[in-house]
Amino acid sequence: MQRLHQLALSDEGFVFDPQTGDSFQVSETGMAVLHALKAGRSDEETAQQLVADFDVSLEEARRDCTDFRSQLKNFGLA
Amino acid sequence: MKELSIGVSGINAVDNPGPGVGVARSLKEDASLNARIIGLAYDAMEPGIYMDWVVDRSFIMPYPSGDGGAYFDRLAYIREQHGLDVIIPNFDAELPLYVKRASDLKALGIATFLPSMEQFKLRGKDKLAEVAERMDIKLPKTKVCTSLDQLISAVEELGLPVMVKGSFYKAYAAYTSTQAVSHFHALVAEWGYPVIVQSIVSGEELNVIGVGDGEGGSLGTVGIKKISVTALGKIWTGVTIKHRAMLEAANRFIRELKWRGPFELECIVKGDDVFLIEINPRFPAWVYFATGVGVNLPARLVRAALGVDQPPAPDYEAGKLFVRYSYELVTDMVKFQQAVTRGEVG
Repeated sequence: MQRLHQLALSDEGFVFDPQTGDSFQVSETGMAVLHALKAGRSDEETAQQLVADFDVSLEEARRDCTDFRSQLKNFGLA
Repeated sequence: MKELSIGVSGINAVDNPGPGVGVARSLKEDASLNARIIGLAYDAMEPGIYMDWVVDRSFIMPYPSGDGGAYFDRLAYIREQHGLDVIIPNFDAELPLYVKRASDLKALGIATFLPSMEQFKLRGKDKLAEVAERMDIKLPKTKVCTSLDQLISAVEELGLPVMVKGSFYKAYAAYTSTQAVSHFHALVAEWGYPVIVQSIVSGEELNVIGVGDGEGGSLGTVGIKKISVTALGKIWTGVTIKHRAMLEAANRFIRELKWRGPFELECIVKGDDVFLIEINPRFPAWVYFATGVGVNLPARLVRAALGVDQPPAPDYEAGKLFVRYSYELVTDMVKFQQAVTRGEVG
C-alpha cells in the first residue's frame, strides 16, 4: 500500500510512480477509485462513492472496484 | 572565484555520445565557478570542438596508450600555454592512466578527483560479486571465464539465456550455446580475458549517477529510469525517480568503498530487490540530467577537487523529464582546418 500512497495523480488522470518511473493513464472513475484508496476507504465505501458520483448500480461499482484493485496488484501497487 | 581552466574529455556528442559536453555545460551553468572549458578531443570531428558556447578552446590529444608519456606531455603544454587547473576525464580507457598519474598531475598544478587504483579495479566486471556483497545488494548469477571450457560449463550451470560480457565493454545476450561461444570468441578477440557470463534478470532498468567524496560521504546522487533508448542503447528520454532501495545501495557503495569521484550504477530492479549490473567509474553521457534537476555534480566535483567547502548534497524531485534532441550548427571551415593542422581550436 505504501507505493499506492506515493503515487502522484494529476487532474487529467495521469498517474506517476516516483519509485519506478512508471506512468499510467486512468479514466475518471479510475481516478475516483485511486483517490478513495489513497484516502484509506474500504472497497464498499468506494463503491458507494462511485454510485453517488456516477450513473452506475452498486453491483457494477463493486465489480469495478474489485477489477481495479486486481489491476493495481498486477502492477505491484496494491 | 578566479577564472578556472577545466579540461574535459569525451566531447564527442555523437550518436553514441561521450559525457564531456554534458559535463562542460554543467560547469558553465554554475556562474560562480567562472569556468573556462578546455576540450580534450581525439578527433577533429568531435562536435564539442565547434560548440564554442560550451567549450572555449579545444586540443587534439594523442591516445592515452603505453605509459601515456605523449598524452601527459600534451597536458603539460596546455597547462603552460593556456592554463589548466582541473581535469575531468570522461572515457573509461583514459581512467587507469589518470588514476596512476594523478600525483604527477598534482605536481604540475592540475587537480583531479578520481578513485584510487584499488577502487578502480574493484568496480571491474570480474569483481562485482565482492562489491555487490559490500553494498548489500544482489548480483545476477555470474561466472568469470578465462577459457572456452569454463564458458561452456558456466552456460550449462546458469542455464540459457545468458549475457556474455567483455571485461571492459560490450555485452551480448545469448539464447543458444552456439551464440554464447561465438560471443565469447568475439569478446576475447576485442577485449581479451576474462569474459563474464551472467544470468539474465528481468525487471526495470534503473540507474544512479553520483559522486563520492572519498571519505564515505556523498556529494550527491540522482536516480533515473530510461524511458526510451536509441538503437545503440543510449538514453533518449528519461525520468527522475526515487527508488529507496536503489538509492540506499548507491549510498552504501559510496560509504563502504569510500568511493572518490563520479560513478554510474546500472541496476535491474524488481520490487524491492535491486540487482547490480554494472558500475561505471565516471559520469554517464546523461550527466546534464542531474544538473537540470538541481544537482550539479560536475561543479560539486570541481569544488571537491580544489578542496573548497560546499553545502550538503541538494535534493531533487522525482518525475522530472529528460529529453535529448538533435540540433545542428553551421560554422567556418577554418575551425576544422585549425583542428587538423594545429591540433587546437579557439
